[in-house]
Amino acid sequence: MLGVANMQPRQLATQILNFALVLSTAFMLWKGLSVASDSPSPIVVVLSGSMEPAFQRGDLLFLWNRWQDTQIGEVVVYNVKDRDIPIVHRVVRRFGGGKTPLRLLTKGDNNAADDTELYAPGQSHLTRKDDVVGSVAGFIPFVGYVTILLSEYPWLKQAMLGIMGLMVILQRE
Amino acid sequence: MTAPTKIAVHSLADLKNTTDDHLPQYLHNLKFRQIHRSTDVRLALGYSAVVIAGVLFYFDWKFGWDATKVYTAPAVGVYFILNGLFTWWVWWVEAGLVYEGEGKGVGKLRLTTSTQKHIPVYNLVATFSLPGTTLPQTITLRAPFTRWFTSDGYFAPKPFQQWLASEIPVIGAADPTNVVEEIGRGSETERVLNASGNNAIDILEQLKKGASAGAPQATGAGVGGGSGRRRKA
Repeated sequence: MLGVANMQPRQLATQILNFALVLSTAFMLWKGLSVASDSPSPIVVVLSGSMEPAFQRGDLLFLWNRWQDTQIGEVVVYNVKDRDIPIVHRVVRRFGGGKTPLRLLTKGDNNAADDTELYAPGQSHLTRKDDVVGSVAGFIPFVGYVTILLSEYPWLKQAMLGIMGLMVILQRE
Repeated sequence: MTAPTKIAVHSLADLKNTTDDHLPQYLHNLKFRQIHRSTDVRLALGYSAVVIAGVLFYFDWKFGWDATKVYTAPAVGVYFILNGLFTWWVWWVEAGLVYEGEGKGVGKLRLTTSTQKHIPVYNLVATFSLPGTTLPQTITLRAPFTRWFTSDGYFAPKPFQQWLASEIPVIGAADPTNVVEEIGRGSETERVLNASGNNAIDILEQLKKGASAGAPQATGAGVGGGSGRRRKA
């Protein structure tokens, strides 16, 4: 273990680079996956129980956005204007398609009613092209629970980032 | 040297890093001029990759996915090419390089070091060319860390420097006072420290010989270590 203070400039630059490479590689892998799946957010975590028993809270979902012709029964992730959190629900109706833009109606498997209440005021359908982030192509149960903890206890985020940074800077294994 | 820091003697990484750090210091004191080309190439590769990721991150955050989509694929491609080059540089070109430099009038020197997992032995490969020659020569050396670390975890520069100066001609030429003959290098001291039933007679024999000959060379090394060859014989 060595102090940061008595390092040569090149040694210091190397240590900072190691840390930056860890972060940037994670970011670029994410972006690479975005490009491959053509989705701005190719991995999402299920935050609510509205899709039980298909998906539980904390399941990690992999999205694919290259099938634009979404069929009834597919589970899609969509964004609603002026809401930060994406929603994972199943397609129950489709309108248009072909020459006219495809529009979808969704519903949570575990919900009594369809999603019209969740959409923006005045919106009765999702536009496939603009609102949907991708269809669920695969999932891993439970591993996303960490992010639920992180979003429920935001200070955990700073703590984790801080510890990671310190470890990389101080360690030379 | 600054104040010696204590390290954990069972941590191979600590042993190696402390030893590696001493190499440039020692050679700097011998008026060697360090060549940083290799490190600079590595830093340039690494930082250009990081800059690409940083710029993409900024534009993605500022303008969103739809606007940056076109640039994302090439950026990701270039990033991973640079990252691959960086990895290749570190593992195959540098391959444990800790020092590259030139001593005034004594020649060029390049040192790479390595350790094997769980084996406290320092492996050092010295490539050097004497002044006036262009043909580089290579020496492979191995020595246990016990040779220059005290049992409580302090680095002892003297035996380490003696080892380097005695084995590597370029360093020996720059630091003749640290060149010791086979009988020296602390081996005599070590034998006294390791006295046991098996080798007591041998030690007495050596001490007798040493006393009659004056044996002045072993005084420099107060720290145990050295090869086990003698003890086995």
